[in-house]
Amino acid sequence: MNIPSGGVRTRRTAAPLALAAAFTLLASACGGGSSAEDGVVELRFSWWGADDRHSNMQQVIEIFEADNPDIQIAGDYTDWGSYWDRLATSTAADDSPDIMMQEERYLREYGDRGALADLTEFSDELDLSKIDPLIADSGDLDDQTYGVASGVNVYAILADPEAFAEAGVEMPDDTTWTWDDYVEISGQISDATDGEVVGTQSMSYNESGFQIFARQHGENLYGEDGELAFSAETLTKWFQVTQDLLEGGGQPGASQSVEIEAGGPDQSVLATNTGAMAHFWSNQLGGLTASSDRDLELLRYPGESESERTGMYFKPAMFYSVSAGTDHPEEAARFVDFMLNDNQAAELILADLGLPANIDVRAHILSSLPEADERSAIFLSDVEGDVVDGNPPPPIGAGEVVEITKRVSDELAFGNLTPEEAAEQFMTEVEAATGSQ
Amino acid sequence: MSALLQRSPKKTEPASPKARTAKGSGRGTGRRRQENLAAYGFLAPWFLGLIVITAGPLMASLYFSFTDYNLIGDHQWVGMENYERMLSDDRLHSALRVTFVYVFVSVPLQLALALALAMVLDRGVRGLPLYRSVYYLPSLLGGSVAIAILWRQIFGAEGLVNQILAFFGVQGPGWVSHPDYALGTLIVLNVWTFGAPMVIFLAGLRQVPRMYYEAAAVDGAGPLHRFWNITVPMLTPIIFFNLVLQIINAFQTFTQAFIVSGGTGGPSDSTLFYTLYLYQRGFGSFDMGYASAMAWLLLMIIGGFTAVNFLASKYWVFYGD
Repeated sequence: MNIPSGGVRTRRTAAPLALAAAFTLLASACGGGSSAEDGVVELRFSWWGADDRHSNMQQVIEIFEADNPDIQIAGDYTDWGSYWDRLATSTAADDSPDIMMQEERYLREYGDRGALADLTEFSDELDLSKIDPLIADSGDLDDQTYGVASGVNVYAILADPEAFAEAGVEMPDDTTWTWDDYVEISGQISDATDGEVVGTQSMSYNESGFQIFARQHGENLYGEDGELAFSAETLTKWFQVTQDLLEGGGQPGASQSVEIEAGGPDQSVLATNTGAMAHFWSNQLGGLTASSDRDLELLRYPGESESERTGMYFKPAMFYSVSAGTDHPEEAARFVDFMLNDNQAAELILADLGLPANIDVRAHILSSLPEADERSAIFLSDVEGDVVDGNPPPPIGAGEVVEITKRVSDELAFGNLTPEEAAEQFMTEVEAATGSQ
Repeated sequence: MSALLQRSPKKTEPASPKARTAKGSGRGTGRRRQENLAAYGFLAPWFLGLIVITAGPLMASLYFSFTDYNLIGDHQWVGMENYERMLSDDRLHSALRVTFVYVFVSVPLQLALALALAMVLDRGVRGLPLYRSVYYLPSLLGGSVAIAILWRQIFGAEGLVNQILAFFGVQGPGWVSHPDYALGTLIVLNVWTFGAPMVIFLAGLRQVPRMYYEAAAVDGAGPLHRFWNITVPMLTPIIFFNLVLQIINAFQTFTQAFIVSGGTGGPSDSTLFYTLYLYQRGFGSFDMGYASAMAWLLLMIIGGFTAVNFLASKYWVFYGD
């Protein structure tokens, strides 16, 4: 050891050294590349969902890794509510997951701002030829494919035949029932059971239902350019149905509805066996059948034969997207290809992400679907003939409409707003959020 | 790093008493400077943390508050536009209203309860350490997610509170899901976390000389007089301290409202706290410029209240002479 005798000099080096050490520690904590030393590529895949989905996805990932030893996928999952907060922050920090689940109302937000890769660039890795034409281009914006649909979904009414039987009310014929029938039947069920079983869960908390209603009236929620494409009269009528249900006792009271909505599907009136009907996406039939322990049925929306045209539509359930900032886009595309086109993956996921978008894969799993999912598959093919057209992609800011819808529904239910006022407030706020004046 | 370790024994090497006391001598100041430098070196990680984790983002948010920043893409300078938009933002105004009601109701209640309990415990209850811990516990837990979830259950339509009410034949409403009561449940939650100010009050009460009370008792002062004329004046510095801290805390309440309302601030914005709305704008609407401006407004509000508190303290806080 060669210690300089000068003392002064050496101690002076202590401070910079300590500083350097601190920097090194900090730097090594922040670092961490996405590529391991032995040539194995590590990718992050994030999705939202409940526990069932998380364990299924992990299994799918294991199969993929076994087939593709050069890729490792780290699952990064959360529930729907916190998913978007998390994705926004990680995207802002330039640390977005390599592969992510997207949704129609957010896809544009991310795509337009350059956060998502154009999937058509990876045609060698990602085969999109077998995707159901109904939803094949649903992830396209401005000639770029920002997402590819995982499956197809339809918004409908889920009904519990046992609850109907308990109330002594007959199940409606869903090909002919009107909105008046819907209100009347709901009221009858609540009456017959003294409110033990309510007719229906509030429908005003999800704008997807109004979209069907608007289409029935020859309008739509959003137009081709993302503008509002409905009249205040139609929206007022929509809120009036809820008002009638509240007054007639066909749906739970305001305060109760708030609690039910906050609890998610597991707290819905169907899951708790305290109601006969609720509005849901068809892929939720399987989960709700399990949590309610009843053989739930899918019904067409009321009023399909009442107004100008039918309103029900197919919606891409979710999208697989690849981050524009990923270091390994080809590998990411290979994983998306596996999720979409591989039978093994579909055998595990089944109809959880919508009825599979790949037509061959759909046919393959049809026979192995659990009873509930099979019913939803049959329902989808029944409805297919009635669906007139799809919807234009929602505008940027449509994700915010989720909250606006909830808020306006609360105000309506607590009697702070009349249906007319609720319609006016909804339109003002949505216009502000989506920038369409 | 190794050089640092090797030198360290030298540092503890006893310096000659002469050198140590020789103030102003070249060698003495040199040594002090070295030691200071080394100290700064060791402080560096924390100092770095302050700059990187606190001061940096603080300054960044000041800058972003003058921009249109959507969190994902680029940002553009818009000058005062975000601040101007606040003037016509009804939800912001309603969030301010909710927050002010919360601060002005819950803080005085919480402090009054803390003082009352502290006085009871100060009388020399057996098992004081136990009570002190028991009452302090909610202060540690009150801001946690678990307690907020528990609160939701207790005040739910079929929660504990309504079950007790039902026992007396009263049909209670869904406390957290009704706009008239939801804020009240959060105020109760904040009042419940009175432990921290209570422990400080308790320490303050111990400092009040007993002879004052004895002298007053001799002069025939009753308990109420003794409280108003001895306890309160002697405690004013402690009350002041608690008041400032609790007001600052209450303005920043977020977790409880976020969990109890499921992140919505509902029902019908009745629990839309300022910080919750800020969060919604920033991470829900991707309006980070506006959210940054809101953060700075909150800083100004809290700063204003604290300044007023300090100015007013001249007139009512008694530091004893």
